[in-house]
Amino acid sequence: MRLTLQMLISHGRVARRMGLNPRSRIDMLRNILTGLVRHERIETTLARADEVRFYAEKLVDYAKKGDTDEKAMKMASFWLTEKDLVPKLFKVLAPRFETQSNGYTRMARLPNRQNLDRAKMAVLEYKGNPYPALYPVKKENELTLINQLLKGYREDRAQQLAAKS
Amino acid sequence: MAACVKGLDKFTFSLRLIRNLQLQNERYLSTSLCRSAPESNADPPRFIPPSKPVIIDKTQPEASKRKFLSPEFIPPRQRTDPVKFSMERKDMIRRRKVLDIPEFYVGSILAVTMADPNASGKVNRFVGICIQRGGKGLGATFVLRNIINNQGVEICYEVYSPRIQKIEVLKLEKRLDDNLMYLRDALPEYSTVDPDMKPVNYSHTGEVPVNKIKVRMRPKPWSKRWERPNFDIQGIRFDLCLTPEQMAHAQKWAKPWEEYDMLKEYDTSQLEKEIFLEVQQEMNK
Repeated sequence: MRLTLQMLISHGRVARRMGLNPRSRIDMLRNILTGLVRHERIETTLARADEVRFYAEKLVDYAKKGDTDEKAMKMASFWLTEKDLVPKLFKVLAPRFETQSNGYTRMARLPNRQNLDRAKMAVLEYKGNPYPALYPVKKENELTLINQLLKGYREDRAQQLAAKS
Repeated sequence: MAACVKGLDKFTFSLRLIRNLQLQNERYLSTSLCRSAPESNADPPRFIPPSKPVIIDKTQPEASKRKFLSPEFIPPRQRTDPVKFSMERKDMIRRRKVLDIPEFYVGSILAVTMADPNASGKVNRFVGICIQRGGKGLGATFVLRNIINNQGVEICYEVYSPRIQKIEVLKLEKRLDDNLMYLRDALPEYSTVDPDMKPVNYSHTGEVPVNKIKVRMRPKPWSKRWERPNFDIQGIRFDLCLTPEQMAHAQKWAKPWEEYDMLKEYDTSQLEKEIFLEVQQEMNK
């Protein structure tokens, strides 16, 4: 094997090294991506979630091209190992993200794994999934005094505007 | 002799006096008589340069001309500031306005005249087939190969070097590959180009002709293992030099997942369109 400096220096390399070899890395990411498309929210290690995030967004970009596009179909059939998810990708996920151009996924950190390795964990999800939100949205209490006074003020203003016009 | 000269001097002196008097009289006369046109003798008329002729080539309408953007204009995928690329493009266009760099591809036959202080006539001319186009921006290069006196010669020219005085395309064509480095291991007949070759006419419209020639190779060992799939060479006749077992053995280095790896994709179509428009506008100024 040619021991070059290129093997030791990784300036500008975007892809992490995972698994046994590049093929194993792609296979691992493929499995995680299939799980993400099936369940729309999965829990993995931080590094794997970060790698899959890029591929998940690119897959949705390909799906947006439509299932008549040959390249899109080839990509979808390669990346999704369970073939019943291919129609789900084209018919459910692609229309959901039609209006958005990027940022189809959300990643949040979890407490480290309880095993001996204490690995950093993360949860990765497609936006618009049916589960309760990861970060619960705090609703302001409408029954406090200030909120009731503001509500009254808003109603008065609306009445004035309606009377003017 | 001396007396005649003296006389001549006096004569010329008196002539000059008379001429000056005459001129003065003329001036006085002219100002008194021709006041309606005062700038006729006082100031010469202001020089208005003739307008540049606008050459409209009606034989080939603009729309049908082949759209070609030289590959060195397309910036690579890097973390550098786009300002660097736009500045480089300006310099490249400045050089292109001075020297006409024609459209050519790997596989075309070019003749390059370069300034050389040691050559007689101060220029040297080299004719060869282009085997590689590398580099981006001002450092773009192309390698020409030819066989002269049974010796293979490859010269790597920088496209924007000020030493280059002329680039002529003797034959414009494409090949099945982007990199013809395997010609080093091919039979010499595929790399020989006649130095006195006459330029072949080519059209500026339509597709560039693709030469689908498949080259015969010398016996192995070669400089590189051209049969391996990472080179992806279409232009070699492998059936004449390798057995099917050797071809199958070479396929062990295949990476079929690379085709589906979205991280490795670099989509330049949008960039190309913008840069092409920019370059066209700047060149027409």
